[in-house]
Amino acid sequence: MDRRSAVKGILILTGGLIVVPSCVMEDGRASIPLRHLEVSQTQEKLLAEVVEVLLPATETPGAKDLGLHLFTLDMVDDCYSPKEQKDFMRGMEVFQKITKKQLGNSFQEATPEQRQRLIAEVNAGKAPEEVLAFYSILKKQTIKGYLNSELVMTKLRKYELVPSRYVAVHPVTTASIS
Amino acid sequence: MANLNTESKKQRTYDAIVIGSGISGGWAAKEFTEKGLKTLVLERGRDVKHNIDYPTTNKMPYEFEHRGEVPHEIREKNPVVSRCYAFREDAMHFFVKDEEQPYVQEKPFDWIRGQQVGGKSLLWARQTQRWSDFDFEGPARDGFAVDWPIRYKDLAPWYSHVEKFAGISGNTDGLPELPDGDFLPAYPLNSVENYFSQSLRKNYGNRHVISARCAHLSKPNQIHFDQGRAQCQNRTLCQRGCPFGGYFSSNASTLPWAERTGNLTLLPHSVVESVLYDEQAGKATGVRVINAQTKEATEYYAPVIFVNASAFNTNQILLNSTSSRFPNGLGNDNGLLGKYVAFHNYRARIRAEYEGLQEFTTDGRNPAGGGYIPRFRNLHRQETDFLRGYAAGFNAQRGLVEDTSGFGVELKKQLLNPRLGNWEVQSHMMGETIPKEESQLSLSKDQKDAWGIPLLNISIGYDDNDEKMVADYLTQMEEMFTKAGFTNIHKSDSKQAPGLDIHEMGGVRMGNDPKTSLLNKYNQLHACPNVYVTDGACMTSTSTQNPSLTYMALTARAVDHAVGELKKQNI
Repeated sequence: MDRRSAVKGILILTGGLIVVPSCVMEDGRASIPLRHLEVSQTQEKLLAEVVEVLLPATETPGAKDLGLHLFTLDMVDDCYSPKEQKDFMRGMEVFQKITKKQLGNSFQEATPEQRQRLIAEVNAGKAPEEVLAFYSILKKQTIKGYLNSELVMTKLRKYELVPSRYVAVHPVTTASIS
Repeated sequence: MANLNTESKKQRTYDAIVIGSGISGGWAAKEFTEKGLKTLVLERGRDVKHNIDYPTTNKMPYEFEHRGEVPHEIREKNPVVSRCYAFREDAMHFFVKDEEQPYVQEKPFDWIRGQQVGGKSLLWARQTQRWSDFDFEGPARDGFAVDWPIRYKDLAPWYSHVEKFAGISGNTDGLPELPDGDFLPAYPLNSVENYFSQSLRKNYGNRHVISARCAHLSKPNQIHFDQGRAQCQNRTLCQRGCPFGGYFSSNASTLPWAERTGNLTLLPHSVVESVLYDEQAGKATGVRVINAQTKEATEYYAPVIFVNASAFNTNQILLNSTSSRFPNGLGNDNGLLGKYVAFHNYRARIRAEYEGLQEFTTDGRNPAGGGYIPRFRNLHRQETDFLRGYAAGFNAQRGLVEDTSGFGVELKKQLLNPRLGNWEVQSHMMGETIPKEESQLSLSKDQKDAWGIPLLNISIGYDDNDEKMVADYLTQMEEMFTKAGFTNIHKSDSKQAPGLDIHEMGGVRMGNDPKTSLLNKYNQLHACPNVYVTDGACMTSTSTQNPSLTYMALTARAVDHAVGELKKQNI
């Protein structure tokens, strides 16, 4: 069954009682099925823009194209404890509020320069604790998702499933560092 | 009707029954079927066919939804198995989940189980060292447990027998404490492992780092090709099941070999409830099996029964095999069944860095894992205030390091251009523990599992000897590391519960005297000689070696004996 229509059904049955946070009600849910997190489409877009600042598209694809914001959501939803999930969501909400206050705009509507400046602050640890907790999970999973992506593992830093060799004493060359 | 029953009973009668298809059960199956006996192998778990049932084996890391991590809910529901290093997204389907088969922890014990065809032979760490007489003579010399009824010379030919077939890589190191075997070429030590080996020789003389001996086909012989196996391809993804049969498992080796004789019947989903004993005949006649899925009970019969259910499950089956002759469990005249169990102490680790030999690294992956330090403590004589000693793993590696401090284009560049890190060295202890009467297994009086079998109570703890050994390992290793010029040394004691070593042993120990042991020198129950136990349950003491190779050798030797006894009509 399609999960979003199921939720809509519940909303009708309960007469719009608070089953999901209001932000999720306003603009719909994230595009992937999540079992624990209540993430809105707006928040999904926000995450896509934050990970793109972390790992932007250059001559190779960036984090948004690789879907690393969705990977992060899936990881937080499945592999993190309820407490960490709460911290992640709370941190994201505080981040949204701070952005609005500082820029008068949402992160996704801000200019590239504004986004850069804001992430630089957060990356330097200059943000409330809640935001840092959110950011550190997001950054960690973005990096993990990137290094473990098909693109990186097959084209940029090749992973060998079947090395077929062990050279115990191997001279260091630049070629061997990849 | 009577005729139908006779016919049905005949169909359920074999020349030999083997309970369990893991590393020792697989060997029993191979040896029996090769010698022409119609053999029934009973496995409580599902079937896992070589190559066909390795669903993750060829997956790239990005094909795992959580890139290897086990989801939080599964970890929460299964805290015991989640502590096992190999319980990861790629292999978690080969482990028993806590909730599937509960047991009673009278003291904390992490019981790690792999119940499927092949058992834990799919998952093992593949380290294979022979025992020496320093090990077999340990209990007699140091006054604990009982004397082993065998010595190295009894087992040596059987070690060779199983090594040649399984394929064990290693060097002939000429160390009396770790006898050489019939080896395939070793995986060499890398430059820092080699350097540490030289440093130990210079500073101590009697301490050695050798290439870890392991059950990998570094250079297969015809006998391995005949099994359908090929050279190890250095994937080091062994826990998924190996498509090349590069390491030894029942699935890749002994079971298909047994199947090809036409003498094997393998029944998965068959939980053995008990061994049947005939009071008149004075011997065991078969086993009672509960179908794991339908819960239906069926009896199977054979003149000889091998119990290879894994150390603690073997104890459970025997304790549950009661009759008026054996009210306390099969063969348990002396009340010692389930007692004197032990394990390996894996608590302590040490790691450090080495700034030398920066001009070298390694290329590819080493399936042996690196080096092995055979036991050097209390070897020739008692020299410390604790009994026995420890072996240790030792390996050195250089990882690729990414600087993840930045963000943006800079971060991307860093991730794609890692630098070679320093050499990191690490070691972990593998300590002998002393089997004691109070370390024991028993059956729960009020709790049963889904198949109506009483749950196993496990009561095993560390003792003062173990604490002293942990402290000594850390002191000695720190000194050895310091003398080698390693820096940034970190020592740790995980305090992990017994069991996580996955080397639980004993409870049905071998010995010369039926008053103080359960099994004789051929692994027959003293009091019921057509039942043999050749898995970890038979171990009188634990020594420090990884035990699987010894189980394999004991099994092959016991089958040879059993077939001889059957011919002579002694059993």
